[in-house]
Amino acid sequence: MTTEYDPYLFLAVFLGIALVFPLAPLGLARLWAVLYSNNKPGPIKNATYECGLESKGDARVQFRSDYYLYGIVFLIFDVEALFLLPFAVAFTGLPMGAIVAMLVFLLLLVEGLVWAWKKGVLSWT
Amino acid sequence: MDEGLRSELSKQGIFTSTLEDLYNWGRQNSVWPLQFGLACCAIEMIATSMARFDLARFGAEVFRPSPRQADLMIVAGTVTKKMAPQVVRLYNQMPEPKYVIAMGACAISGGPFKQGYNVLKGIDRFIPVDVHIPGCPPRPEALLHAFMTLQQRIDGQRLTGKSRPRHLNAEAPSEFPVPQFGAKDLEPPFNPEVWQPPRLVRSE
Amino acid sequence: MMPMQTLEEIKKRLESAVPGVCVEIVSNDSPCQQRSLLVDRDHGPQVAAWLRRDDALRLDYLSNVTGVDWPEVVTKQKIKVKRKVDGVEKEVEEVVQTRSGGYLEAVYHLYSMELKQGAVVIRMRTGDRDQQNKLPSLTPIWRSAELQEREIYDLFGIVFEGHPDLRRILMWDGFEAHPMRRDYVEPDDYEYEPTPHDSVLAKAKAHYPPEVAP
Repeated sequence: MTTEYDPYLFLAVFLGIALVFPLAPLGLARLWAVLYSNNKPGPIKNATYECGLESKGDARVQFRSDYYLYGIVFLIFDVEALFLLPFAVAFTGLPMGAIVAMLVFLLLLVEGLVWAWKKGVLSWT
Repeated sequence: MDEGLRSELSKQGIFTSTLEDLYNWGRQNSVWPLQFGLACCAIEMIATSMARFDLARFGAEVFRPSPRQADLMIVAGTVTKKMAPQVVRLYNQMPEPKYVIAMGACAISGGPFKQGYNVLKGIDRFIPVDVHIPGCPPRPEALLHAFMTLQQRIDGQRLTGKSRPRHLNAEAPSEFPVPQFGAKDLEPPFNPEVWQPPRLVRSE
Repeated sequence: MMPMQTLEEIKKRLESAVPGVCVEIVSNDSPCQQRSLLVDRDHGPQVAAWLRRDDALRLDYLSNVTGVDWPEVVTKQKIKVKRKVDGVEKEVEEVVQTRSGGYLEAVYHLYSMELKQGAVVIRMRTGDRDQQNKLPSLTPIWRSAELQEREIYDLFGIVFEGHPDLRRILMWDGFEAHPMRRDYVEPDDYEYEPTPHDSVLAKAKAHYPPEVAP
């Protein structure tokens, strides 16, 4: 004798378990909070955490737009340093073509530096 | 639950517990201290958390850099009057339940600087301290002992009734007033609700 | 290496190098006997610059700045003076009052890293302890003086003119006294302790009066 049941009943059961499984602990935690653990907010407790000091002003401050150019130039030369290090380590064993390619790369960057310098990005006043 | 019945049951291989015991057992073995040090005692605190003394055995190795995640404040070192409001504010920003260990002579009373112009005469003037450790500085063993004392204290806390701890009592305050900088001293110099000057009782 | 010049030599050369300067050698009775140069406050920066620049000294390293409070002290001394009274020579006792102190002092300890010599100690004194509490700052000459001069300002109340950032450093901004001065009275906040003595004992008696007078 076989029991006939809807093959989709499994899905319904799974859905029920899937709901109860996370909700039960949440509900228990909520119940615990209501019964025992009282919520005690306060002006100091809710204040912005600033290592114990009173926080001053707003976290949103304006940056000079120059800063971004400065930052991009810094980033580019940071990456350049990243490339220069393995280049310097492997310098003696490199074929001529690789050195020329690297020098072209450096030349391009130096050109960018000269452009930024002329533009006055590097002076901060 | 009756203690005799419980021991009989455990002889038969049945472990019984109460919700209260389970709750306290979980809490006492996961006390997360707030990561800050004020003076030389902090070095001993750091040593305690390292491999030789290994605070991790007690479940307290997770030093939290934010008061929002910490349960325990170890006041390790000299609390100057300039620093005291910050310490009180950090304590206020910790969520309940929260505990305080005052570590070393300076933190419990001002220590060698007690009569100085710049040192607070004990952090217990402003926040309730659970365990005091004497010493200058205390050895890491002393901090471990204080920590175990705190664990026993947590273990003894009741969930209900009049003697229930502060965090289970809706009326008990969770924030303590932060002292202000006055012309010559902190104002007020101590919080009378937390601390009173010791009274001298003379015997005949 | 040549031994460092004595203070007498330095004083002599200083007086010719900085015109109008008034330098004194302050003796020291303590076991270390480290004497020092007392420089008048108007020529302080010039003297400091010269000490740093001079080829024989090259005092390029300021290791320590500290303050001293000298409250005014009146000492009375009885001396016997021979005097003619009514034509007869008699010995009469007279009381002589000597005043000392009544100023604040900044002490600078200087070394030379280049010539590996030192220390030369220079001092500057203020006019008095209240109104004329100004001294020229030596921070433009030795940058390491900055925080220590701030500390002296905080604890002794010497105002350093020409200091780039003269604020309190140890106490808070609203603090209204200079706690390292000898006449500083700390707030009356006493807590019981088992073995009080001296001034603490007086406070203990005020705060915990004995119920039955002994």
